[in-house]
Amino acid sequence: MEIKQSSSPTSFIDSTVVPGDVVLDLSSMTNQTIKLGGGLRQDCDAISAMKAGTLRFSKPNKYWIESSQKRYVPCVEDTVLGIVVDSKADNFLIDIKGPALAFLPVLAFEGGTRRNIPKFEVGTLLYLRVVKANFGMNPELSCTDASGKAAEFGPLKDGYMFETSTGLSRKLLSSPTCPVLEALGKKLSFEIAVGLNGRVWVNAASPDTIVVAANAIMNSESLSTAQQIIMVEHLLKNIQ
Amino acid sequence: MEIDREDGRSQNQLRPLACSRNILHRAHGSASWSQGDTKVLAAVYGPKAGTKKNENPEKACIEVIWKPKTGQIGKLEKEYEMILKRTLQSICILTVNPNTTTSVMIQVVNDDGALLPSAINAACMALVDAGIPMRHLAVSICCCVARSGLVILDPTKLEEQKMKAFAYLVFPNSVHSVLPEGSPSVQGEPIENGIITSVTHGTMSVDDYFYCLERGRAASTKLSDFLRRNLQQQSTNSSKAG
Repeated sequence: MEIKQSSSPTSFIDSTVVPGDVVLDLSSMTNQTIKLGGGLRQDCDAISAMKAGTLRFSKPNKYWIESSQKRYVPCVEDTVLGIVVDSKADNFLIDIKGPALAFLPVLAFEGGTRRNIPKFEVGTLLYLRVVKANFGMNPELSCTDASGKAAEFGPLKDGYMFETSTGLSRKLLSSPTCPVLEALGKKLSFEIAVGLNGRVWVNAASPDTIVVAANAIMNSESLSTAQQIIMVEHLLKNIQ
Repeated sequence: MEIDREDGRSQNQLRPLACSRNILHRAHGSASWSQGDTKVLAAVYGPKAGTKKNENPEKACIEVIWKPKTGQIGKLEKEYEMILKRTLQSICILTVNPNTTTSVMIQVVNDDGALLPSAINAACMALVDAGIPMRHLAVSICCCVARSGLVILDPTKLEEQKMKAFAYLVFPNSVHSVLPEGSPSVQGEPIENGIITSVTHGTMSVDDYFYCLERGRAASTKLSDFLRRNLQQQSTNSSKAG
């Protein structure tokens, strides 16, 4: 009887998988620790896909499914843009486009004490960091970085917020800089905050600049590098 | 025994399939599915926090709303909603997002036979587009038994009205696997041999029903391949960006 090795052409790494596909066989990988990221689930000795997307592998042992959705799955240490929905005695309730509302403790600010609790109105846009994202519980957020400093977190004033897919947010935050942001940055000066949950905030001195920047980013989702640069040149020609 | 179908198809031939995903701007997932002239639009919203009153809060809840092309919502639409809800509950993994509700809206754009199977296929693709965690996909076919005893697949509305009996069948899709013995099995049988839903109308003999199951299962592999190609195409389109 022939025995197939899992590194043979049937390996799914970097190819599209569909929910139900068994992508890893643990019985042939004894004595290894594997980390499973989003989109994969374990069924005894077989790891199968829950979402449709591309299977990615990063050395030494991380597997995950990369896909782009309109909703967000909360993950620890992600930076997101949240909107205040309600405020309670101990927490603000924040909407981060996930399956549950997130909590922002009232003291999670730099130098936060019971005496100087910030007052956020319903609808305030905040730039936040996800601190806890456990199964079955509401995610917890914070307006400070890991060492307790404010570090740009907090409310975002003025500007314009729009929604994108999570895939586009990741591309905007990738390094080296995303082509559309580089092309825009050469001609315009603007400020941008990208949330991994599919929200982007842009601010600039004049509304024209804000609108051009927002349209350029929204159009760049399915374009290649060269196409993005051409699209940005086209948009900028019309305002100058 | 040959039967002359009005559009010239053979006994087991399906109508041309077309599927596009992410067509609605506001919905979190959407798909349009057409089989010949039957066209259905599905939209998925969710997962959103909170479940309904009588639902188990330890699992995700799926709610289905069926909108017919014309007329008021009646018993037939409620029956379709219930069948769709139970089919989708068995393919989605409900324990990943407890205490949430996912809403699926089905809008009938045109009905030319095999409406419920098209709706199930559209709903499944819309759930994939929204990123809802699923155990496997569902592929759905309509098989009918003519008065002469012949079994044909994917009837048009005229053919459906002349038939003695018909069955809507939903099968799991065929999975690709790195396991040496092929796809995962449940109690010794591969997953593809299972069946998720079966809705029958009219009277047919037990042998006819098993024959319908066989034909339907054979056609479901073609549908599975179509779904896989469709998902691969759209993912390579978006990965060209940046």
